[in-house]
Amino acid sequence: MSGGAGLLSGGGGGGHRRSPALADPLDNDDLLSDILLRLPPSPSSLPRASLVCRRWCRLVSDPAFLRRFRARHRRSAPLLGFFTRASRNVLFTPTLDPPDRLPPGRFSLELGTRCRILGCRHGLVLIHNWLDLHLLVWDPITGDLIRVAVPPEFGDGGSAVVEDGAVLRAAGGDVHGGEDHPIPFLVALVGNDREFTRAFACVYSSETGEWGNLISTACPSMNPLYIPSTLVGSSLYWLFCMDPYSIEFDLDRQCLAVIRVPLNCCPYDNICHWVVPAEGGDGLGILCLSGHSAQLWMRKTHRDGVTGWVLGRTIKLDEHLSLNPYERISAPYILGFAEDCNVYFLMSNADVFMVQLESMQIKKLFGPSDCSVYHPFASVYTAGMLFGGHDGAELLLNT
Amino acid sequence: MASAGSGDEKAAAAAMITLISSDNEKFEVTEATATLSQTIRHMIEDGCTDGGVPLPNVTSKILARVIEYCKKHATAAAGEEGSSSSFSDAAFLEVDRAFLEELEEFDDAFLEVDRATLFDLILAANYLDIKGLLNLTCQKVADSVKGKTPEQIREMYNIVNDLTPEEEAEIRRETQWAFE
Repeated sequence: MSGGAGLLSGGGGGGHRRSPALADPLDNDDLLSDILLRLPPSPSSLPRASLVCRRWCRLVSDPAFLRRFRARHRRSAPLLGFFTRASRNVLFTPTLDPPDRLPPGRFSLELGTRCRILGCRHGLVLIHNWLDLHLLVWDPITGDLIRVAVPPEFGDGGSAVVEDGAVLRAAGGDVHGGEDHPIPFLVALVGNDREFTRAFACVYSSETGEWGNLISTACPSMNPLYIPSTLVGSSLYWLFCMDPYSIEFDLDRQCLAVIRVPLNCCPYDNICHWVVPAEGGDGLGILCLSGHSAQLWMRKTHRDGVTGWVLGRTIKLDEHLSLNPYERISAPYILGFAEDCNVYFLMSNADVFMVQLESMQIKKLFGPSDCSVYHPFASVYTAGMLFGGHDGAELLLNT
Repeated sequence: MASAGSGDEKAAAAAMITLISSDNEKFEVTEATATLSQTIRHMIEDGCTDGGVPLPNVTSKILARVIEYCKKHATAAAGEEGSSSSFSDAAFLEVDRAFLEELEEFDDAFLEVDRATLFDLILAANYLDIKGLLNLTCQKVADSVKGKTPEQIREMYNIVNDLTPEEEAEIRRETQWAFE
């Protein structure tokens, strides 16, 4: 990235690290940076700090500071909003309240018609260009856009067809080690063969710049995947459309399986089940909407090693969503799930709701949406902080 | 703490260090307490602690508070090592949780100080290189700024706004939404 040699570049040099004591820690650049790093990761924090005085502005618009700020808070990144696919681009819709509400369309990306969003995770967006057979990993905050070619096994003449994919930051690149270094990411692709008898998976690592081995397993479903992935522990899950199965891809053990899930079939166009972390534990769960109630299932392993599903809580959604009689006519369905904060985007026939099922905090977003899937986006927003000609939204094409 | 280097555990546990404040007051502390400070740890490793460690940047009032913090957290670190090495059953997890809660309460109470003391603690934690204390005290200042407008922040900390109207306008233009 370019340096922030803009507005305030003349504003005095930084002091030495751990310099001898001054009377006021706010007069010491290192200490003031240490303090400002601990501001909450809500979007308005740094813009407000930057208007205090020149020193504060210089410190919080320093690219190295911004990198550290993002790394420090990435585990507690706020849910900024969600991405949806429009006809030729990717659209962002904010969901936070002012003053943290980013302008709609803040992050937009022109894509053409051959692309679809596969999902968002850990501040990254994964886009699949199905015609040119490549993937784009986009960091909307820094503007970094990295192009990854689909592995040959999924390409023309290969045996596998891309069905879905997921992006995530590598677990090893943790906060403390990663403040001054970019955190590596992984891309997982899943698909099937043309005869629909086997499921395939493959992982790309940005650290090595290479795809790992293609692994496969027998697959009983003839239907495509259509629900975005959920990460639970170190495994990614994709539910099959209209069949009671899910793909389970354990990234640590590089192990692929198709597991049975406790579902009834649901209509193709309205999603009413989603893989989620189990309530009150770190295991696997499924949220299943049935009429106006939501059932939370948990996977349990019995003593003999056999796994099964147990019904946990059932929540009467109509009691909580305060639906009017018109809204009660048709059952709500799921538009998206933000796994980091356990927030569901639900659609009733007149409104979109954000629902946190543990606390039952509910926020009504807006009127009818014609979109089928929302991709919730949580990240530490620091774009637009490089004042003086270096907008964080500039694209860095890294092919 | 286990890697202090001494072969004789008992001797290491009993080893006392004398810290001397800027106003010449002497404080006897255990090595385990003193080595929460990386600065002092390095001095011990270099063998330059005979006759006491002079700390010309820290007053006795602040040093007493810093030692209070280090004592509590050194015990915590020792407790953690003890419990995780041999047991991990529910009872011990319960004890751990209770201890962590107690530590949190201690930290909260520890931070109930006026601003001058808080600032002096930050400077001392920085000079002595005590990560936990620096984190705690810096977080306290950051929390005080949370949700405040630039005007309120300036007023709280007597900061003069030296941004020119043009600079202010440019920042606001980029981030107008954050002031709504």
